Amino acid sequence: MKRFIICLLFSLLQLSLSAQSTLSGIILDEKGEALPGANIYLDGTYDGCTSGLDGTFTFSSQESGDLVLKVDFIGYKSFSQNISLPGEISDLKVQLEEAFTELKAVAITAGAFEASDAKKAVILTSLDMVTTAGTAGDVYGALQTLPGTATVGESGQLFVRGGNANESQTFIDGSLVHQPYQSTAPATPTRGRYNPFMFNGTVFSTGGYSAEYGNALSAVLLLDTKGVPAEDQLDIGILSVGGDLAGTKTWKDGGITANVNYTNLGPYMSLVPQNFTWNQAPEALGSSLSIRQKTGKSGLFKLYGNFSRSGFNLEQEDPNAALERNTYDLSNDNLYLNASWKSLLNANWSVKTGVSFSMGTDEVGLAEGNFTSGLKGLHSKSVLTRQLTEKIKIRAGGEYQRREYEEIFSTENEEFANRYSDNLLAGFMEADIFASKKFVTRLGTRMDYSGRSNQAQFSPRLSTAYKLSEKSQLSLAYGWFYQNPTDNFQLYTDQLNPERADHLMLNYQMTDQRRTLRAEAYYKNYRDLVKFTDQPFYLPEGYTNQGEGYAYGVDFFFRDKKTIKNGDYWVSYSFVESQRNSRDFPEMATPSYVSRHNFSFVYKHWFGGIRSMAGMTFQYGSPRNFNDPNQDGFNSSTMPAYKTLDLNWSFLYRENIIFHAAVSNVPGFKQEFGRRFASQPGPDGNFQSVAVRPPAKRFIVLACFITLSPNKDKNQLKTIQ
Amino acid sequence: MKKIHILIALLFISITAIAGGNEKFQQKMGETLGGYATAQSPEDFQQLANKFARIASVEKKEWLPLYYQAHCLIIKSFVIKGEPAQRDEILDQVEKNVEAMLELAPEESEVFALQAFYYTARLTVDPQSRGMEYSMLSNQAIGKSLGINPQNLRARYMKISNDMGAARFFGKNPADYCPDAKALYDSWDEVKSPSPIHPQWGKDQVAELLNSCK
Repeated sequence: MKRFIICLLFSLLQLSLSAQSTLSGIILDEKGEALPGANIYLDGTYDGCTSGLDGTFTFSSQESGDLVLKVDFIGYKSFSQNISLPGEISDLKVQLEEAFTELKAVAITAGAFEASDAKKAVILTSLDMVTTAGTAGDVYGALQTLPGTATVGESGQLFVRGGNANESQTFIDGSLVHQPYQSTAPATPTRGRYNPFMFNGTVFSTGGYSAEYGNALSAVLLLDTKGVPAEDQLDIGILSVGGDLAGTKTWKDGGITANVNYTNLGPYMSLVPQNFTWNQAPEALGSSLSIRQKTGKSGLFKLYGNFSRSGFNLEQEDPNAALERNTYDLSNDNLYLNASWKSLLNANWSVKTGVSFSMGTDEVGLAEGNFTSGLKGLHSKSVLTRQLTEKIKIRAGGEYQRREYEEIFSTENEEFANRYSDNLLAGFMEADIFASKKFVTRLGTRMDYSGRSNQAQFSPRLSTAYKLSEKSQLSLAYGWFYQNPTDNFQLYTDQLNPERADHLMLNYQMTDQRRTLRAEAYYKNYRDLVKFTDQPFYLPEGYTNQGEGYAYGVDFFFRDKKTIKNGDYWVSYSFVESQRNSRDFPEMATPSYVSRHNFSFVYKHWFGGIRSMAGMTFQYGSPRNFNDPNQDGFNSSTMPAYKTLDLNWSFLYRENIIFHAAVSNVPGFKQEFGRRFASQPGPDGNFQSVAVRPPAKRFIVLACFITLSPNKDKNQLKTIQ
Repeated sequence: MKKIHILIALLFISITAIAGGNEKFQQKMGETLGGYATAQSPEDFQQLANKFARIASVEKKEWLPLYYQAHCLIIKSFVIKGEPAQRDEILDQVEKNVEAMLELAPEESEVFALQAFYYTARLTVDPQSRGMEYSMLSNQAIGKSLGINPQNLRARYMKISNDMGAARFFGKNPADYCPDAKALYDSWDEVKSPSPIHPQWGKDQVAELLNSCK
């Protein structure tokens, strides 16, 4: 009523004496209910009104002629109607249609964990990945607390849903990272090469992923680097294991960051007893350069380059000769370049293009001689996206990849060298179709071609999601996934076909304020897996594609940021049943990297009073199999269950100084990952063996991070909170 | 703030002839600004915002109507008792206005000051997740505003407000900034506004800061 009077008063303030019209009616939403607060007006004039609590409106106008009556309300499509004044317009009923925006519509969740800061409803932020206790700043470590993954302590790589580590591929800004892990010795865990602070968007897909990605049987990890930096700053990191220095300079619409880092575990290992014997502790020196530049109105160009050199000299017990030790002297050089550009071309078209180049060389000194392996990889991809209609989006793209791999083994007298190269082409097309805000379908197809084997494969991909209610949705994904055999097999044969996995998964997700529940069931069928024959490994006859396998299971994930004040936790549980007959397996068996039950509990708490953030991670992996040649059956022995409890603590000493401490395996749970066996039986007929253990019972890191910037309030709390 | 706006509104309603081509625009703005005096509920601020939106749809080259529409919606997002999603939706419109204003008036100090106010509003929707990022964005916008006009009263008010908030978070004493707040309050009226319809608000908010100083 009050609104009605005020509306009328203001329109009466017009001083003109010309004819007056009255317009009235009611504004309704899509469901036919009253919509208060809508803006009703005559386009091009000041005349108008706001709808009342009951949706009704009335206003007067002195205007005359052909006019357009418009109704606006945020979240709804604007309504317009042609009218002629003067005249009486009464009982006008306007029903507004909700505006469609992809951000508010249902999103496909089957198989995908998105940690993108851009989306509003997000389960994990990229900071979560970094600040989880026990990961020591390793992206892959953080991913191992998510469902669908297993922690394989002797490896440190990513094993997803019954799949081997090589079945997961990593992409930065859309381009492949050929060697995402540091080089390491056998039975020695590794970690990722790239600093997680570089990224602000992560999509971890444990299956059913888009047709844009290929050559991965199990999973893809999509990392997006940060955009243009906001300010000049200098970051200094002093750690118990090394140091890190990064300088950032910004200019209008762009910026450059240069970084140098050095790691040396020597001093640390001399203080803390280790299981392994290091003649030279792992040492690494690296530097990187990152340039960002906005182009035009909506474009962004990114360039990233990283070079690092690392090495160590490790003494390992030799199962072939109990009293002897082998030295494994590794030195590695790695260069990675990645350039990408994305931009809107106009209202409906956008383009994304990128290229990456990798060059990595491992030189290993063994007692018997020197072993060198080198990989050169080039990957380039371009994707065009067109918004066909408001509800249909189409993407199409092409990729080219070149891989060159060589292995050289040299002794005093001879040298054995093998190398291969391959040119791979791929193309894909995909459509996202929103039947409504509640139902979306993604249909895609991909073609992969390998020059070397002169074969092409088509993979269909389908995923769909349906919103059951405001808070919950169901999602389904199905697809075929191919992957070329690993480099070390392709060295000796070009006769192999790609391996193949078919995925089917069903996902249920519920988000209520700051709590999320996810449950996913999946079935993977493997075929054409590489199998060894009884022929020598260096002949093409040594390999076939006769292998097969399966994996099925369920994953649960529950995250709660609400219940405990200043506390944030998640629980993840995976069950996987998987067997395969591949490589050197004599029969169908569960591989040693599969644990039937995996459980993680991650907790973080902010203690405001003492400006500290504490984190705790508990992980459990049920006993895994390993093969003991002294026992009957294959992979019939089991190693102890894996348990760890990690803690970390960050203290904001000043606005720009943070102290950080992290300890893994605080209670000192005994961790053993099977045994390594001699290649021949000993004199008593038994195969000798040595236990596979982690490098140390616990790993402790202390660090201090300092941020210097023109704006004194800046610090790295965001990066560790 | 409320008293000044009533006076201005009455002034414009009573004056019948004002020289200048945008007489109708000035008059309409003056009248509409009077609405601040009585606006209290979220519905009141939505209604006031809509009035400014209508003026903006006619006066496509003026940034002031967009400014006040955004300002009203930001206040609505503070007073409405709703879900975060609802508040974010209101602020989505504010975001559009800020972008439009930056196109129309890229070197206008008040626009950056309002942008800082908008970032603070976004922050309060979910302080735990957005705290660090949006306080940084807010401070940057204040920096740009003061860079163009070091005298900008609203930017100076928000700087003190942000500094006090940060002090509380880092365990320092927010009262350290009280002398700045007092000085700002005392010298408020010395800074002249370019016109009666340019932004005038903020003195009451500084007074509130001073209350917390006692």
